[in-house]
Amino acid sequence: MLRVEHLTKVYPNGTVALRDISFEVSDGEFLVVIGLSGSGKSTLLRCINRLIEPTSGKIYWNDIDITNASPSEVRRIRRQIGMIFQQFNLVKRSSVLTNVLSGRLGYANPWLSLLGVWPAEDRQKALRALERVGIADKANQRADTLSGGQQQRVGIARALMQDPRLLLADEPVASLDPVLAHSILQYLEQLNKEGVTIICSLHFLDLVHRYATRVIGLKDGVKVFDGLPTEIDRARFKEIYGEEAQEVRAASL
Amino acid sequence: MDKAEQQPTKIVIALLSLLLPGLGQVLQRDWKRGLSVFLAIATALATVTWYGKRGWYIAVIFLWLWNVWDALKMPRGAPVVLAVLLWLGMAYGIGWQVTQVNPMALFTNTERAQSIIRPMLQPDFFTARKEKHEGWVEVQVPCSATPPRAEKTVEEIHIRVQPDCGNLNETLIVTADGLWPSAPTEITWMTPIGDVKLLGPGNNQMLVVETDNEGRLSAVIQVPGSALAAAPDPTLPLPHRVYLTQTRPIGGMTLSTNGQYVIRGIYETLALALLSTLIGAIMAIPLGFMAARNLMGGHPLLVGVYVVVRTVLNIVRSIESLILAIIFVIIVGLGPFPGMLALAIHTTAALGKLYSEVIEAIDPGPIEAIRATGANNLQVIRYAVIPQIIPPFTALTIYRWDINVRSSTIIGFVGGGGIGFFLYQWILIGDFRAVSASFIAIAAVVMILDFFSAKLRERLV
Ligand SMILES: Nc1ncnc2c1ncn2[C@@H]1O[C@H](COP(=O)(O)OP(=O)(O)OP(=O)(O)O)[C@@H](O)[C@H]1O
Ligand SMILES: [Mg+2]
Repeated sequence: MLRVEHLTKVYPNGTVALRDISFEVSDGEFLVVIGLSGSGKSTLLRCINRLIEPTSGKIYWNDIDITNASPSEVRRIRRQIGMIFQQFNLVKRSSVLTNVLSGRLGYANPWLSLLGVWPAEDRQKALRALERVGIADKANQRADTLSGGQQQRVGIARALMQDPRLLLADEPVASLDPVLAHSILQYLEQLNKEGVTIICSLHFLDLVHRYATRVIGLKDGVKVFDGLPTEIDRARFKEIYGEEAQEVRAASL
Repeated sequence: MDKAEQQPTKIVIALLSLLLPGLGQVLQRDWKRGLSVFLAIATALATVTWYGKRGWYIAVIFLWLWNVWDALKMPRGAPVVLAVLLWLGMAYGIGWQVTQVNPMALFTNTERAQSIIRPMLQPDFFTARKEKHEGWVEVQVPCSATPPRAEKTVEEIHIRVQPDCGNLNETLIVTADGLWPSAPTEITWMTPIGDVKLLGPGNNQMLVVETDNEGRLSAVIQVPGSALAAAPDPTLPLPHRVYLTQTRPIGGMTLSTNGQYVIRGIYETLALALLSTLIGAIMAIPLGFMAARNLMGGHPLLVGVYVVVRTVLNIVRSIESLILAIIFVIIVGLGPFPGMLALAIHTTAALGKLYSEVIEAIDPGPIEAIRATGANNLQVIRYAVIPQIIPPFTALTIYRWDINVRSSTIIGFVGGGGIGFFLYQWILIGDFRAVSASFIAIAAVVMILDFFSAKLRERLV
């Protein structure tokens, strides 16, 4: 279970990206965070695994205080939390297999991993992860030779290597076409059914309706909505996205 | 307010512009234009005066008039093209005169050109393989009371000189057998300290005698007048040698002496370039990190290091490696070492700058992603940073080696070793066959290297 209490983030330049955010996520939820560009979605997700240092507030992961954890504890917590990104964030010049294996770094022997030596079981695990996302045949290609959809699947395979209990997905489909978007989200849905908690930021409401079990809406760093996807009606939508907003559907793109 | 808006009258503007170019424009609040006009006319005036090319004052005068016209036509101004053309015309004209461009010289000196080009068409690289047949005998100069018998057999060549000794310019008779039959034989004199003297007419030509068909030979020689020139005590009888040498081609080609020097020079150049590139690259890595803005932010101390390293790199980089080489030749003496030092230092600065640009261009995404997996800092560097920088670092380093090979040929000219050193000597003594051999060798090496480095870099990027 993840508990966020009074989380605030102020960037050094004075931008208040998050303002007193509190919520809880139970195990097995598929929580979607929505909000306009700049509303603080990325900041929120990165505070959870401390890629960004929160300014104040607390985050508890299974009753461990993430915000107060020492660097080595942070690494131990991070390895249970997978993360995928809008820009995939693969190491472009490395092979697909190396990219996937790097998901295992939190568990691997530090010295052997620095030499690039991986135990056979990790390699098999990586190949299984690639098989699972349907691109086992690309294992030895350079990551940047893959299409966007394939790269995001490598990103998922990398996260799978962590045996994650929680998966953070920051706009995982914003760079993909609608068909690919569904296929990627279906992988996440499947993981979710296997018990992985998912926190995912999304832009398209039809995707939210289709995959979310719960939705949080952010506006200018403030939580303005917390409820079921079905509760987002026109009024709510305007509240989150502003008066002029028109609903855009991924399917209509 | 009203006063500030008031514009000076046209006449005033024209007069002021005439007085000081650019003033009219400045008065009409176009600072930049005024300054540019002033600088253009000032530089033109200075150039013409400096080089004393009076005729070009006409360009300055026109520029000056243009400036008045421009001031009157503000804010749109006069056509800038005119001024630019005037200025450039003056600059090129003077440049043409001071560099003494004289295309006719290319044609009037054909005689000299031919004496250079003809030997260059026969590069001195290979020579026919030859076999040598050589014998010698010792002759005492000057004569003592009991000179040893001047007779000796070396490799079945039997030589006898009569009399057994001689004083300067005395005549000796050489007879020999056991030589190759019917073949030209060179007869030379060697003093005890190893000076070779020619025995042909005037003592400055080779004496060549043909053997008969049984390999016998007889010849009359004179003890060279300079045989005792370098002897410590000219009255002390010492053994001098008379050499008989035969050579004949045995088919095939081999490297000539100069060809061997070319190979040695090229090898030295490549090694010099490789070593200096390697040393430079190793030193450039830490400097590259220190000169990368994205790493050196935050703490004032880091920013200070960044500024210092960056400045030093820029200064050193701007010094030609040739100049560095001259300095090091003065410090450590001639040879490949000063050349290597110069190239290594120049390479350090150049690569340091390029490396820092690679580091600044690192994609932060993968770093974030690897950190998110729970990796420690070293693992982040190993898996997210190094894969991003190694290929461009390698490509830049290979490219630098390429450049260094070219530079080191030039650096040899100032005594920095390698092929350039030999080339310079050959140009000085006018051995244009050797010069052309080294040209060809340099061109071949540079082309081959160029090809492979391009291929390699293609694969890395
Ligand atoms: N490193 C930073 N320094 C200063 N301000 C930042 C930084 N990162 C983000 N911000 C600001 O914080 C606010 C929230 O940014 P964030 O990236 O979390 O928004 P987002 O909802 O993810 O937007 P998007 O949909 O465009 O990704 C924005 O106003 C942004 O400009
Ligand atoms: Mg974002």
